[in-house]
Amino acid sequence: MMRILESAPSRYDRGIRILTLGKIDEVYDRLVSRITRGQQVFDLGSGTGALALRAAQRGATVKGIEINPQMLVIARRRASELSLEQNVKFSEMGVSELDREKAESYNAVMSGLCFSELTEDELIYTLRQVARILKPGGLLLVADEVVPANTAIRILNWLIRLPLLVITYVVTQTTSHAVKDLPQKVNAAGLSIEELRLNGMGNLIELVAVKSEGGQGEPA
Amino acid sequence: MSLLSYVMVNIVSTLLRFLPLAGKTGLIRLGNPDRHSPVLLTANYVLTVSRVKRALAGINAFLLVANSRGVNVWCAATGGHLTAHEVISVLKTSGIEQLVDHRKVILPQLAATGIEAAKVKERSGWQVIWGPVYARDIPAFLRTGFQKTPAMRQVEFPWRQRLEMAVAWAFPISVIPGIIMVSFWPEAVAVLVSLVWGLSLLIFACFPLYSRHLSSKGKRVGLIFFDFGRGGLQLVLWGIAMVGLLIYSLLTGDYGWAFFLRWAFASLVLVLIVSLDLMGSTPVYKSGLHEERWLEISLDEAKCIGAGFCEQVCPRNCYEMDLVRHKVTLPGPDRCVQCGACVVQCPFDALFFRSPKGDIVPPETIRKFRLNLMGKRLVRVREESL
Repeated sequence: MMRILESAPSRYDRGIRILTLGKIDEVYDRLVSRITRGQQVFDLGSGTGALALRAAQRGATVKGIEINPQMLVIARRRASELSLEQNVKFSEMGVSELDREKAESYNAVMSGLCFSELTEDELIYTLRQVARILKPGGLLLVADEVVPANTAIRILNWLIRLPLLVITYVVTQTTSHAVKDLPQKVNAAGLSIEELRLNGMGNLIELVAVKSEGGQGEPA
Repeated sequence: MSLLSYVMVNIVSTLLRFLPLAGKTGLIRLGNPDRHSPVLLTANYVLTVSRVKRALAGINAFLLVANSRGVNVWCAATGGHLTAHEVISVLKTSGIEQLVDHRKVILPQLAATGIEAAKVKERSGWQVIWGPVYARDIPAFLRTGFQKTPAMRQVEFPWRQRLEMAVAWAFPISVIPGIIMVSFWPEAVAVLVSLVWGLSLLIFACFPLYSRHLSSKGKRVGLIFFDFGRGGLQLVLWGIAMVGLLIYSLLTGDYGWAFFLRWAFASLVLVLIVSLDLMGSTPVYKSGLHEERWLEISLDEAKCIGAGFCEQVCPRNCYEMDLVRHKVTLPGPDRCVQCGACVVQCPFDALFFRSPKGDIVPPETIRKFRLNLMGKRLVRVREESL
């Protein structure tokens, strides 16, 4: 579902708002309210900068990574429009390069609609790296599409999504996948879930996880 | 994989060729690979993976399947779904680094339009080796220590591929209206289906007869009908369809002006639809719908030191190396399909595209901004509020 929008990045944000029925701004605001002035923050798949710029506006120093060069053009331009160039840096970098980041160097790692773009291997790798680069007590903040747990809702969700998916297929010849078992995977990476919120359909997750003080993060 | 599932995958993905079909990503062991076995990489289009596996039967190797969102190698690479990032990602997250002692990955040559080999090396330490275009040549390529003959580098459009494209067009074009018509005009379904399949097969079967008249340089996309084959191809096809209709009505005794006019019009529309992107359906022409077909490949000889990446990745064998002068030469620029692989891979920016107006498209633009389905590279940024 995200692909059609990403292939036209300048319309991306408006599209996301429509698809999430306007919920996404609310979700992002709530997640970013956890960020405080002076913190070091990392944004996975920063896209057009929705989360990264919000965090920078709260006074954090943000590094956003994104692999789509067009998204980066838009994100950087917005940062300069908001005079936030000093607080936020965007890099063309994929999640598999997280091993180049120093251990325990971030107060928070954010991910808005990025995990659903990753393969299973990438997601597990990413969560393990997140646990490594977070400072003890640091937070993982996630907003993403997930597979609804309830079977009836899953079918309903599928039926609602189907026409959208068909259109996406025809127009962009591609699609996206919702994340399966995200809370379990977050736990498996050694982070403890502090807050978990699902929307009415159960297909949009809002998750806050914490790296325990003194914990090593990465399990053996 | 059993023969049955191989056949099923081939049938389904031939009928639905224009849709992506995403398979599992990650690491696949072929045979009994050891720490020195070759590492190959491909896209997660189900048909591609099954054909690569079949071509590699009996060979011990590791196959990495990168996440191209179910799109085939060439389209995914050109469209930005298979870039250096997807390659780095599967190299680092699949566990392959713990399984082999070397750091060489063999990539399909057609992926060179989107995967910057230099970036893969810089960020992962893995050296990219450009393999052959077709999976069937991989065993010979491995046997000879990564030697590629000119034939292994070139895309072709043999009868099998032409048949596949005919089916790929005919199936959706006949099925969708067929299903709609079956409820209110069932007696016409047979005519429609035979027209669609007959025309599609005819167009692609006769390709060698008229292909030399094709040119993707035409400027009037809106009037594409008159550009093709110097204005004659579609009319000839339509004429053949008309003869077919006449024979049909004579055989069934079901003729009359209304019947004939109706189907004459319908078949004209069908001819137009099936041949709309005829050249884009072949690997040997640039799509007639893409603006980039007007670009001309140019060489800045001063910058060239004869590194030869262009020769290795060009799917049309446009280049020849001058070993004396250590420069590449461009004896076949007319064969160019503007895929951009050579521009993306040249480490010295010696190759670039030139627009019909003479403007230079910098290599950086081709590397960074991928083609979308309309054949445009989106670099325009519109003002939007946060």
